[in-house]
Amino acid sequence: MSRMYTWMTGLAIAAALAAVSVRAQSQAPAEQTVEVTAERFAFQPSEIKVAVGTTLTVVLKSDDTTHGFRIKGEGVNVQIPKRGRGTVTATFTPAKAGKYTFECSRVCGAGHGFMRGTIVVVERESETK
Amino acid sequence: MALAVALGGAPAWAQDSKDGDDHQPQTRLSGYMDFHYNKLESADGRLDFHRFVLLVTHEFSPKIRFVGELELEHAFVAGLEEGGELELEQAYVDFLLSRGFNVRAGMLLMPIGILNERHEPPVYYGVERTFVDTVIVPTTWFEVGAGIHGEVGHGWRYRLFVTSPLNALEFSADEGIRGGRQMGSETNIGRAALTGRAEYVGIRGLTAGVSFWTGKSGFELRPRFDVPVHLIEADARYTHDRLELRGQIAGVTIDNAAQLNDAIARTTGVDPNIASGLRGAYAEASYRVIEGQRWGDVGVFARYENFDTQYRMPAGALPIVAFDRDAWVIGANYWPEPDIAIKVDYVMVRNQSSVVRAPNALNVGLGWWF
Repeated sequence: MSRMYTWMTGLAIAAALAAVSVRAQSQAPAEQTVEVTAERFAFQPSEIKVAVGTTLTVVLKSDDTTHGFRIKGEGVNVQIPKRGRGTVTATFTPAKAGKYTFECSRVCGAGHGFMRGTIVVVERESETK
Repeated sequence: MALAVALGGAPAWAQDSKDGDDHQPQTRLSGYMDFHYNKLESADGRLDFHRFVLLVTHEFSPKIRFVGELELEHAFVAGLEEGGELELEQAYVDFLLSRGFNVRAGMLLMPIGILNERHEPPVYYGVERTFVDTVIVPTTWFEVGAGIHGEVGHGWRYRLFVTSPLNALEFSADEGIRGGRQMGSETNIGRAALTGRAEYVGIRGLTAGVSFWTGKSGFELRPRFDVPVHLIEADARYTHDRLELRGQIAGVTIDNAAQLNDAIARTTGVDPNIASGLRGAYAEASYRVIEGQRWGDVGVFARYENFDTQYRMPAGALPIVAFDRDAWVIGANYWPEPDIAIKVDYVMVRNQSSVVRAPNALNVGLGWWF
């Protein structure tokens, strides 16, 4: 009988731990990482989909000169080092759905003005697929 | 009206309505330069400071920007001097309204091919630009005009401009439509030209596009006849790690070329033998054999070009076969740092003439961007 109690207690503790773990996982902020390459005069990819509330980490590298990565109106603006000089990371957590424009913020040549892209922020994570 | 609403208010489709925060008008100076040593077979070498280009950009606001590009070619300009050119290659204002619809007006680069819009010396192999981008697509091709550009999603983007046309009286047998560029200087706009490009950048490493230009270019010959000119072009560029592949094909048609030749011959006494069709193509492969070294990168390349400015002739005219050419270009770039390129190449040109021989050439260049 006592062995049965021991087993039942063990199972109850395991179930409780599992429940806490699942709850913790569901409450953990979602994260998404995207690698973006910048080169005259495009970002690739130029369109990124992310869900509201997800912390988007953009890992940026250049294939040629120094570029910039600015998300317009969101206070995100980093300088991307020249080719072979490593990467830089920008993070952005959108609070509401919509389309956010990003662009090169450092003049990089005759077609600099075309160097733009979009972060599409959707309500549900399933819509990012 | 739409422009005023978009720039002044915050319509629902202007997604970046928060742009106004902490913006300060900014003016920036940048530019590129290159100088070349060109040694034609059986001729003395030439040292030429080919391009000195300054770019001035200014942000009036996050939605309104100015870009200007002033280029001094061949280092020297004087009255009636043929050697040098001072060119206003770009001077436009961009009204950035939304992702898919933006308005640009001023002196514009024609959105054709790989090099016309993307020609900073460190980003291409070879000391000189490709032959196709010289005698078929007349880079650097710029005209005054206005138009729209934007992204339509899934990696597609476009530009569509109305510009001044070419001047057909300046066409030639060996350089096609190149001499006809009005370059924004008191241009005739009696019948405007239309140019555009659709471009795909949706696959990492790939940029592919198709471009066109169409315009009636006989404004000095009207009302007797006109000279409609049409250009169509396709190109692709693919980069994977150290490898880069690029290719381009372009064709030009010149309507009423027989009447054009006749009109010029009556004026000058010489039949210019302008073709009714031009075509050219090239393919290039390059590889960075050394990369990531403290002292820089080295890349090698090989390019094949085929270009014919006498491809189709008007009735009664015979082609000058010396202008049916092909070329192999091999060489290397050394980048001591990514914005400086030291280049060397050897050009082997052949033509279809048994009399006129095209000389080979050795070229060395230094170009930089800042």
